[in-house]
Amino acid sequence: MEKLFQAVYGGILYGSIYGLMAIGLTLIWGSLRMLNMAMGAFYVVGAYLTWTAFKLWGVPPLLAIVLGVLAAAVIGLLIQVLLINRLLGRSSFFNAAMIATVGAAIMIESAALLIYGPRVKQMPPIIEGHTKILGVVIQYQNLVIIAVAAISLIALSLFLKKTRYGLAIQAVSQQMDAARLMGIPTVLTFMIVATIGAAFAGLAGSLLSSVFSFAPTAGYTPLTKALIVTIFGGLGSIKGTIWAAYIIGVLEVFLTVYFGAGFALPVLFLFMILMLVIRPSGLFGLGEIQRL
Amino acid sequence: MAQRLDPAAVPWAKPKPVTLVAAILVLLAMPWLLTNFSTGRFALHLIILFFIWGIVTQSWNLILGVGGIFSFAQVSFFVIGGLASGAASQQLGLSPFITIWFAPIAATFAALIIGLPSLRLRGPYVVLLTLAFAELVRNFATQGPKWIAGGGYGLRDVPKFGFETMWGTTTGRVAYYYGALLLFLITTYVIWRIFHSPIGMSFRALRDSETYATSRGVDPFRFKMLLFVLSAFFTGLAGGFLVHYNGSQAPTILNFSLTINLLAMIVLGGWGTFWGPILGTALLTALPEILRGPLDNWRTMAMGLSLALIAVFAPEGLFPLLSRWTKKIFGRKDKAQAG
Repeated sequence: MEKLFQAVYGGILYGSIYGLMAIGLTLIWGSLRMLNMAMGAFYVVGAYLTWTAFKLWGVPPLLAIVLGVLAAAVIGLLIQVLLINRLLGRSSFFNAAMIATVGAAIMIESAALLIYGPRVKQMPPIIEGHTKILGVVIQYQNLVIIAVAAISLIALSLFLKKTRYGLAIQAVSQQMDAARLMGIPTVLTFMIVATIGAAFAGLAGSLLSSVFSFAPTAGYTPLTKALIVTIFGGLGSIKGTIWAAYIIGVLEVFLTVYFGAGFALPVLFLFMILMLVIRPSGLFGLGEIQRL
Repeated sequence: MAQRLDPAAVPWAKPKPVTLVAAILVLLAMPWLLTNFSTGRFALHLIILFFIWGIVTQSWNLILGVGGIFSFAQVSFFVIGGLASGAASQQLGLSPFITIWFAPIAATFAALIIGLPSLRLRGPYVVLLTLAFAELVRNFATQGPKWIAGGGYGLRDVPKFGFETMWGTTTGRVAYYYGALLLFLITTYVIWRIFHSPIGMSFRALRDSETYATSRGVDPFRFKMLLFVLSAFFTGLAGGFLVHYNGSQAPTILNFSLTINLLAMIVLGGWGTFWGPILGTALLTALPEILRGPLDNWRTMAMGLSLALIAVFAPEGLFPLLSRWTKKIFGRKDKAQAG
């Protein structure tokens, strides 16, 4: 019972983080049809800026998180404007965009290495203290992370459903040509999507900076996990990604608690292969759109 | 099919015999000259590394550029080859000359396992699945059984080929060079043949328009699998060679940076072209050593910047660009039609 509760609690915590990381990936895939490999770098930007703001500038922790998110969003927007927008409409868009974002990710990570050095850093917890439920230690700051992640994911789905720009994003991801014919400014939409995606990855980074220590290369693991989540949920599907994030999170912690950490990744991998064989477009995938 | 084989498929038919003999002589004599200087010995080491990474980039280019399969599992095949050969020679006490053949076999099996589910899928899903596979191999190489992972330090004290003990230090170094050269030439030749055969044509057709190629009778899955397995074979062989050259294999080579480095070689040189990866590997093996010193910390930054710039301004890479320039300047056709 105690183990089960531990697994569910840890799974929801991991799931929130995976959700934040994966939502940008899936949004960007949905509208731009590209993989943004710089997601891990946005995570690193969020973590480092939060740390810098808190430790070096003495900014209160909540404001530091906001600053981290803003920095990641600005860098995401810059990459979109300087690199990706120039590639739009090319026949080799998928390759070129992937290479360009890989290049951007390397630049961001090496910049972090040049500025901060290779030593790992860690933020102090935002809120101290813990409680015990069913014999499981629950840190208050983890509860804050879960709450912030859930609120921002809900806010994002409201934004997509209710606002003008959210509807534009949905229209672009469903039928780009039709959306353009209806007068939706697609390039502006892409820029909004890229900014939101980077901001969410940055939020994941700045929230997690107080849970895990981080280094310039810390973005790689969250990126891989986010990729697993997006496959499982179906690329381009918001609902699927959020579900998949929590399912994968719970599954991973469940496997870790019951079978040990060494088993978690191989079993997740097998699970993913099975998923792709049974439902190639993921849990709520949009279906394969063959583009010639 | 009037002409089954491209006339360029026999690489030595084109250049004059004199040039060919001169090239072979230079390649054979170079190491003997280089071992006389200390910088030359380091250059020899770099050339051996160039041969090894050249094998990997050429075979990765075969699936990335020619096959259009976005596999990120290439370094994993390399590491699997190294682990198979290294662990076998360590545990079974066999000579490295025998165990090195375990390397391509193990890598080929790994390619079959990962290829079966992933090659039926399309672009982004292949990226995701192969990245996950790479993560899995990394997990195994750091936390696996002790005789493979070495408690997180990787393979250590792997038996070397032992050319030094057989023939002395200088001849030993040259022997490693010859070994790497031989593997490199075999790989290059096979890949050249693939480029200029009906198989290569099918691959390019599949990459450029899968629907049309399929309707003309090219089975995408079969061809992709063939390409994938071939490329894993040579990559595994290179991994096996490196582990017996270095005498160790640290799990840190599975960090993303090596994958990025190799990708940069392919993209910089020109992806999907025959000479591109060779040019890119030569550039990115030599340049960082030449630029050593104050610029050391900026190397990764420069690599990221060049990747981004290449993607935006010269998406086909340096080799097609250079060959176009030489054509423009010298006004005669060179061997650029390989791409």
